[in-house]
Amino acid sequence: MPRHWSLVSCLRSFPQLVLAALGACLVLFIVGPLLRMLFFATPASLGAAIGDAEVQAAITLTVVTATAATALGAALGVPLALLLARKTFPGRRVVQALMELPVVIPHPVAGMALLLFLGRRSAVGGALADLGLEVVSHVPGIVAAMVFVSAPILVSGAQEAFRAVDPKLERVARTLGDSPWRAFRRVTLPLAGRGILAAAILSWARSVSEFGSIVIITYNPKVASVLIFDRFTTFGLAAAIPAAVLLLLVALGVFVVVRLLQPAARA
Amino acid sequence: MIELDGLTVQVGRFHLREVSLRVPTGGYALVIGPTGSGKTTLLEAIAGHVKVRAGRVLLHGQDVATTPPEERGLGFVYQQYHLFPHLSVRDNIAYGLANGRADRPAERAARADELADALGLTHLLDRGIHDLSGGEQQRVALARALAPRPRILLLDEPFASVDPTTRHLLRREVRQLHDSEGITTLQVTHDFDEALRLGDLVAVLADGRIAQSGTPEQVFRYPNSAFVAQFVGTGNVLGGRIVRTDENGRERARTDEVQFAARFICEPLELDVVAEREGPAHAVIRPEDIVVSRMELPSSARNQMAATIVRLERVGPVTQVHLDVGRPLVAAVTSASADEMQLAPGASVTIAFKATAIHLL
Repeated sequence: MPRHWSLVSCLRSFPQLVLAALGACLVLFIVGPLLRMLFFATPASLGAAIGDAEVQAAITLTVVTATAATALGAALGVPLALLLARKTFPGRRVVQALMELPVVIPHPVAGMALLLFLGRRSAVGGALADLGLEVVSHVPGIVAAMVFVSAPILVSGAQEAFRAVDPKLERVARTLGDSPWRAFRRVTLPLAGRGILAAAILSWARSVSEFGSIVIITYNPKVASVLIFDRFTTFGLAAAIPAAVLLLLVALGVFVVVRLLQPAARA
Repeated sequence: MIELDGLTVQVGRFHLREVSLRVPTGGYALVIGPTGSGKTTLLEAIAGHVKVRAGRVLLHGQDVATTPPEERGLGFVYQQYHLFPHLSVRDNIAYGLANGRADRPAERAARADELADALGLTHLLDRGIHDLSGGEQQRVALARALAPRPRILLLDEPFASVDPTTRHLLRREVRQLHDSEGITTLQVTHDFDEALRLGDLVAVLADGRIAQSGTPEQVFRYPNSAFVAQFVGTGNVLGGRIVRTDENGRERARTDEVQFAARFICEPLELDVVAEREGPAHAVIRPEDIVVSRMELPSSARNQMAATIVRLERVGPVTQVHLDVGRPLVAAVTSASADEMQLAPGASVTIAFKATAIHLL
């Protein structure tokens, strides 16, 4: 039958087909390059990359610094997120806007700003150096750059998680005999916890993927992204790819974990 | 005892202005008012969740201005239940028992079980709260609030979000729990019927102020402003008690839901009514359901009595006849028949109304 029927149905679903085609283009554009790179690396070259001491050191450094940056961001950012989500205070909107600022700043610009702010000749950098904490061209510089670019993600995610908890739940807990801190610990924290964890993982991933600001403030020791860039400029594409694929796999692993956590956090 | 003395609060767009109210120990008071009149704010001010601008809140004679919510010894039930979504029914109920009020774990468990039993929740204790019905959630919220044995219970529209049948049951259960636990209760509602059914005391809140307060009967019968009159409706309300008449010679179980013939006693009147329960109640009679006649009525209406006209109030085609039958009553007749019967103040008439025209609350 139904030539005529299928023609009608084709015409009817034409708008959906256009939408699907446009969407498919974008999905291919995201997936295509990544798949191309994954298949470019041979198992042998991946094995060599895993065994490469410099690659190992860079990935270890990346994981350690990203974890430190996330911990620091969480320690400072979760309380701020709670304030922004729950309290009204003068300048709240300004603080909110400032926390979103790093997103629009090109990363090398952020790196230069950090360099000026934390360099030995600056007041802050000088004071830290006097305390024995070298920032620029040292590991703390990497952590500083990571906090700068990733903390806003953590703050906005944690803020959303706190907003999703009805403040009346805490009020109920208070009338049931809880002090403010106890109500927060027994009600708000467990309910927001998952969302905060997801935000922390996302911010960790952002730290791992950071390059532009780190390359300016601390070229050596090299984090993975800097090492990959270094290999690319020195030895070319083929030499950089195995390490790049390793980093990609780490990022994908984190991504899967976040996706598994998120639906539950939204519910 | 809850005493509010010139309480003034502002939260966002909600204002309370110089609210004064007194709920005696063990009393059940209802604050009624339309949506947005500041009812929830009033409860939150008593609970200590919002800042008081002026005036005082006294709980059992003590000014609680500096007392945090957790030390005020009250239970709070919100309209939308606000159960803890990460806890089971049991843990929700027992939540307030974990605050070291000298209860040992065994006592806590016993208290949770006791309340679950009283509210018919025993079979749900180990469930999460997500698959509970509205009525079940409301019962859990009540049990949770009652568990630490508060001396004061604050209820925010507790029956507004459940279906009518459940509402009917819950109202009765709450009143029973109130009576058995002896808790001073303040409930807010937008439903005047609820006030008549439950409250010993009613306060009408309008735009952040108490427009009128008193017994439900007083407020209903003598509204002091057009707002209150419009809000509560007009009619005859008689406070009294229902007594079963044993006319068919069979005694039914007390919990029987079936209607039965009874007498409503409200000195000096004794009315024939159709009731669902015994005990204290309010009888509401709409003015247009009362038949007025100059002669004895041959009607089958059971409730027939002599009355004296106190005054007449003509409102267009309807005339309100204010009567004295030992109690004040209002009847409504068409102005045409009022003229025809030559009704006048001081005249004696016979009035009648059917047993089914008496609405028992």
